[in-house]
Amino acid sequence: MELFLIGNPNVGKSVVFNRLTGIGTISSNYPGTTVEYLRAEVVMKGKRINVTDLPGIYSLTPGTEDQLVAAKLLSGARPDCILVVADATRLEPSLVLTFQLIELGFPVLMALNMMDAARKRGDLDVEALSKKLGVPIVPTVATTGEGIGELMDAIIGYQYVPSEFRVRYDSHIEAYMQVMKQGIGDSQLKYSPRGASIKLLEGDEQFTSGFPKDMPDQVKRLRGEFRAEHAEDLEVHITRDRYGEAGKMITEVLRPNPQQRTPKQRLSDLTMRPLTGLPILGLVMVGVFATIIFVGAWLEATLLGLWADVSGSFFTDMSHAIGGEVGFAIANGLDLSIQSILAIVIPYILLFYLILGVLEDSGYLPRVVVLLDRIMHKIGLHGQAVIPMLVGVGCNVPAILATRMIESRREKLILATIIVMAVPCSAQMAVIIGTIGRYGGIIYVMVILLILLGLILVLGRLLHKVLKFEPSSLMMEIPDLTVPSAKNVGKKTWMRVKEFFVIAFPILLVGSIALEVLSAYGVLETLVDPLSFFTVGLLGLPAIIIIALIFGLLRKEMSFQLLVVLFGTADLASVMTLDQLFVFALVMATFMPCLSALTVMIREYGLKDSLKVTFASMALAFTLGGVANLVLSVI
Amino acid sequence: MVSENIEEYLECIWELTQDNAPARTTDIAKHMNVAPASVTEMLQKLHASGFITYEKYKGALLTEDGMEIGAHIKRKHRLLERFLFDVLGLEKSKVHEEACRLEHMLSDESEKRISEMMNHPTHCPDGDPIPKMDELRGSDESTVLLSTLDEGTEAVITHLSCRDPQKIRRIIAMGFVPERRITVEERLPMNGPLLVQVGDCRVALAKEYADMVYVNPVHKIKRFM
Repeated sequence: MELFLIGNPNVGKSVVFNRLTGIGTISSNYPGTTVEYLRAEVVMKGKRINVTDLPGIYSLTPGTEDQLVAAKLLSGARPDCILVVADATRLEPSLVLTFQLIELGFPVLMALNMMDAARKRGDLDVEALSKKLGVPIVPTVATTGEGIGELMDAIIGYQYVPSEFRVRYDSHIEAYMQVMKQGIGDSQLKYSPRGASIKLLEGDEQFTSGFPKDMPDQVKRLRGEFRAEHAEDLEVHITRDRYGEAGKMITEVLRPNPQQRTPKQRLSDLTMRPLTGLPILGLVMVGVFATIIFVGAWLEATLLGLWADVSGSFFTDMSHAIGGEVGFAIANGLDLSIQSILAIVIPYILLFYLILGVLEDSGYLPRVVVLLDRIMHKIGLHGQAVIPMLVGVGCNVPAILATRMIESRREKLILATIIVMAVPCSAQMAVIIGTIGRYGGIIYVMVILLILLGLILVLGRLLHKVLKFEPSSLMMEIPDLTVPSAKNVGKKTWMRVKEFFVIAFPILLVGSIALEVLSAYGVLETLVDPLSFFTVGLLGLPAIIIIALIFGLLRKEMSFQLLVVLFGTADLASVMTLDQLFVFALVMATFMPCLSALTVMIREYGLKDSLKVTFASMALAFTLGGVANLVLSVI
Repeated sequence: MVSENIEEYLECIWELTQDNAPARTTDIAKHMNVAPASVTEMLQKLHASGFITYEKYKGALLTEDGMEIGAHIKRKHRLLERFLFDVLGLEKSKVHEEACRLEHMLSDESEKRISEMMNHPTHCPDGDPIPKMDELRGSDESTVLLSTLDEGTEAVITHLSCRDPQKIRRIIAMGFVPERRITVEERLPMNGPLLVQVGDCRVALAKEYADMVYVNPVHKIKRFM
């Protein structure tokens, strides 16, 4: 059985998907979390079901790329059941989407989500709504799991019964559809004639397979005629009729309770009003960085101390037990790899993702978007670009994917370039904080962050000037602030950092051991010497650092982890000067995208643009490093 | 109260500007059966009192004040024609002149009763439309751009205006369609986005989009809740 999940952005579709499949997907409290569709094969009470989770859409005829993904997938497939996830607290847009699905003859089942919040707002007669739509409806609260069992039963037992429901359009539009009906004649259409006709009238040619060849042209004429006679675009009128129908339906099934502004809503208003919102934003930002830097450092020291106590002489014993150079290499490699996880991944990366998770789920991020919209315009972007940039502080891979929610390709490219070149990912942050931050103090970290901030502004301005166009404008739904669920934040954080343990750790382990062996036999020096003109000459760093840089291509945090391995000590200050550590951190902060980020970028933007960005960021990193080296040696 | 003569002029200009082009002096003169020179004199007077905007060689257009009077008199005229013809059974050739005289005397209340009694007729015996009361009332609070509304204002969307079909698609998909109610909650400074409530959704809307949406502000009515 093929099951599609569809719904407006931010209605809890991803949470429903998680509940149904038991598979982890990342859900957040802002529109556009799922920009790619997800597929999962599950066995639900003995029945094999392919579940596809589509990006959130408002209409089947959308205007942005992420939403187009959903519309395209839908028009390309023939699912056995489409589960519309609707938000019971704001039914109108959900109903409008459902109308379109029913019209086209899709087999629809509805999950009426967020029922807990809806119950506070008024009495919603689910049965009456189901009867009116001619579609089965299951009320759910996906975050707590309420109604999920019933939903599964409804999916398994789903039998498509065509709905009798029709949206009543303007009589002129109905007349057009009569004209089209004659034109269609006996042609075999893929979708219901009424639904396909209305889609074509809206100017959407995605659902029109099977129409006679001349139909699109004929409809184009009708669209022109309608515009001339009504001074309104046909698609506007069609959507207006749908909203009218939805509004009427809601008044018939919903008895609202009188509403009062709750303290939570008042707080929510404060975060958005510029006078109070901007100071709050400043506090949040300072709070986030301070937490990562100070709590991170404390965690690192504590964990390493604990590890030293726990491991004791285990690794020395192990080295002796295996014996020889190899024994030392293996034991040391293993020890240092584990240490680097304790020193980097847990204190900094895990901590950052926890904070990001809380910010995401509270619904605070869209407020940042609104507040910073004007400033972002100055660098050729709009406020919505803030979210990919913040996500990019975690990892560039989802950040590049998140650029999809921006409409124009030009803006997306600016954004992706800025993210890759100047937004430090959590691994880069770990490198910065763990090297120069640890030995040089917070001032150095601030200097690097300021350089990066300056880079963002300069790059944005520059690209804005080069790629001439006005930035497209912001339009985004703002969810209410909510208290994040610890479970969701925890789960999300684990999913995001999991790969550091399961993918990165083995690579690091093998790499460390290999490097230990090479250096034990003295081969390493001869390998890195030819490039010393670059490392020593330009950057003023030890020649061996090139190994760290190369591993940094695989994963950014590894450059730092391998530093420890290469020098054979966790006390970097004993082998590098502060100036060297600063140059190293600066180079790593702007270094080219890691392999996974590059792969995603090539997929999204093509080889040519991706290589341009890669070379540009490499050149930038080494120029910055060289200049910093020069300046520092003069001082 | 304005004089009968002014009412006649405004009614005439209202009719002649139905195609949205200015009414020319010669046409007005012909229509009212007076000398062009006296028309020019009257137009300058009307211009000075703010009922019309008049430009030499171009002609006259009604201001909102002028529009309200002109359309209202025309409504009374056509309603009276309908009444004289349908109810009193006067000959069709006589109803126009009779209505011309009565229209200035007819009180608003009698106008309302006549309209109700005849179940709100829409056209006069000659087939011309009778201007509607609510349209008249609408004309003094004509539509404005969403982007010009103050914080806290509630309005009804009247129409959208944009040449880019992609943008139209985006904005209608978010529920910005005519006849929906919309409230401006917050305006961010420096031409920043507007925060609006449409239905149950709260949307941040850049000025560029807010400039596509025309609305009719709803006057605040005290509700007892």
